Amino acid sequence: MSAVQYPPSEVVDFIVVGCGAAGGVLARELSTAGFRIVVLEQGPWRHEKDFPHDEVGVMYRSGLTNDFKKQPNTFRKTPGEPAKLQPAVEYGRMVGGGSVHFTANYWRFHPEDFHERSTLGAVPGADLRDWPITYDDLEPYYTQAEWELGISGQGGSNPFDGPRSRPYPLPPMPVKSSGVLFERAARKLGWHPFPAPVAVLSQPYHGRVACVHCGFCESFGCEVGAKSSTLAALIPAAINTGRCDLRPNSYARRIEVGNNGRVTGVTYFDTQGKEVFQRAKAVVVSANGAETPRLLLLSTSKVFPHGLANSHGNVGKYLMFDNGGLVMGLFEHPLNEYKSIVVTRVLHDFYRSDPKRGFYGGGGLDSRFDYYPAGFALDGLPKDMPQWGAQWKRTIGQSYSHMGGVLAHASCLAVEHNTISLDDQVKDAWGLPALRVTFRNHPDDLKAVRFLAERQREILTVAGARKIWEDAGSMEETTYSRHLMGTCRMGDDPRTSVVNRWNRAHDVPNLFLVDGSSLVTCGRQQPTATIQALAYRTADYLQRAARRGEI
Amino acid sequence: MNLTRRDWMLAAACWNGLLRAQPRKFVSFDAATAAEIEAIAARIIPDDETPGARAAGVIWFLDGALAGYDEDQRGLYQRGLAEAQARRAELFPRSASIASLTAAQQDTLLKAIEKTEFFRQVRVHTVLGFFGHPMYGGNRGMAGSKLLGLDRSMTYQPPFGYYDAEAAKP
Repeated sequence: MSAVQYPPSEVVDFIVVGCGAAGGVLARELSTAGFRIVVLEQGPWRHEKDFPHDEVGVMYRSGLTNDFKKQPNTFRKTPGEPAKLQPAVEYGRMVGGGSVHFTANYWRFHPEDFHERSTLGAVPGADLRDWPITYDDLEPYYTQAEWELGISGQGGSNPFDGPRSRPYPLPPMPVKSSGVLFERAARKLGWHPFPAPVAVLSQPYHGRVACVHCGFCESFGCEVGAKSSTLAALIPAAINTGRCDLRPNSYARRIEVGNNGRVTGVTYFDTQGKEVFQRAKAVVVSANGAETPRLLLLSTSKVFPHGLANSHGNVGKYLMFDNGGLVMGLFEHPLNEYKSIVVTRVLHDFYRSDPKRGFYGGGGLDSRFDYYPAGFALDGLPKDMPQWGAQWKRTIGQSYSHMGGVLAHASCLAVEHNTISLDDQVKDAWGLPALRVTFRNHPDDLKAVRFLAERQREILTVAGARKIWEDAGSMEETTYSRHLMGTCRMGDDPRTSVVNRWNRAHDVPNLFLVDGSSLVTCGRQQPTATIQALAYRTADYLQRAARRGEI
Repeated sequence: MNLTRRDWMLAAACWNGLLRAQPRKFVSFDAATAAEIEAIAARIIPDDETPGARAAGVIWFLDGALAGYDEDQRGLYQRGLAEAQARRAELFPRSASIASLTAAQQDTLLKAIEKTEFFRQVRVHTVLGFFGHPMYGGNRGMAGSKLLGLDRSMTYQPPFGYYDAEAAKP
């Protein structure tokens, strides 16, 4: 529990809504800087001991994520069709949010990601735009994030990365068999594999222990705190300031606004489901790329009848999803990918958009086998093989430890009619309108996925895989995503964006939005480093602006 | 006393062990229904050279799932099983139950219904019960990790597999 509890009637300096990858950074930075803050997190506050090796609970019962049974969403591909109940978004629902259960890939965006529109021109059917900021604006904050959280990697090993002011604080993690095969094959093909930068401690750091290679990493919480989540790396220090009142199981339902158009606080459902109104001088929303626009749309008022910060109708638009296919390979000898972290080698040779290919985009590739035992048994084998019975059982038994693979992280274009909106029929367990997701890939997204799949096959072929197959579903149109981006995009023009270059809402001077929703483009997925760099930059700005009385 | 969640899980696992040693009642099924569902699960993961769904106690996982997290699927099980029985009577008019069919007949029946939502759900539950944590009632004797040949441990050290061991050799 937090050392401090502010009464709801007290006007605290900041409320942070959502204690995930971004909110955890703000909690730590703002409380350390001397502000009195309240952090509202809809999920529970778990600790290391609460993270067991339980595939059923975590992967099949939403143990750490939003539970579709309580928080349904509807989905449709285009605005014209009826939306149906179908899981489409997944996010970490706990203190630490997605930073607790993510794969821990920690890629910086490349410098060119911030001005692709200027270099590539417009893409028909999409709304590709430059960011209002550059890589250089963000570089100090990438560095700060890497050093505060504890990132393992080898600076300078990726020839396509932008310049960096400091190396990573920790050396790379030990390479796995999938990484060895990936690196060997990629070098033979003339490409440039490098040790994966990951938010996992390869050595003890800031009082935390190093990874013990337990193997329950992607989708799981770390039982020793070696994954550099905000829960493990930042929250303890925030609590220790005595100025951070972190309230788990507190579900924000409306941001309140005064007649002057400034926010006055947040109304939320507490643990008992009771509505509480907490007052604050300013509000930072870091609820993720789906829940942040939803909360704004739920926050209608006399001043903002169409939702908060939505005077130009941009809230919820330009949703970008996680694209990229998985190609698997069966090898002669055991790889034992069930041990240690997921990814140890990456390459960015096909990251940059190349007009010669005839489509926008590209992607990064990483070495990984993406399955836990039940998941592999259910979905891992090629669909033309038996899926149950004696032969299937034998194949599963013989293959699991001998499997490797390559995953693509592909571009996703911002398209205006891909949106988060409020469903007009379905409600969640608290009686609030459910998320309605409208999403259909731009054709170039799928061209990039297909192009990368051929590169993935090349790697596995040269690596000597005896059998290679694709996870067919991952090559099709994306209908489900854990990366939720672009829905309150950043820009200088209030007519086409929701927040300005400092993550401040154009419409509301004391409202800030910092999470995946701010992203103008999504790089080549793996957005956590960029989300956290934006959070550090916003925290820095808030301190300076507050001191100048500009909030 | 301050019990952690891990303590609870350990206690639950021990309790399951105790319960298993005694005759135990299903919560979600009557005995006859349980026998039918178990017969299906036992063809999805047959007991052969290595333990299958029956030996791993998957039916107990299923029983718990339908009484808990997947309670909303009881209707699917009821409807699906009734349809499967109708199909059985069509294919094998003289038979009295799925459990009493030969293994080959059971496979024929399951092939005939393998595209149904019911079969898909039984398959998912069977696999989760077989590979899932034993605290849920299935995966007895760690049948799942044995089938996959996992070197079971809470922590590991490199080298992890053949190729990284080979690469680390001087």
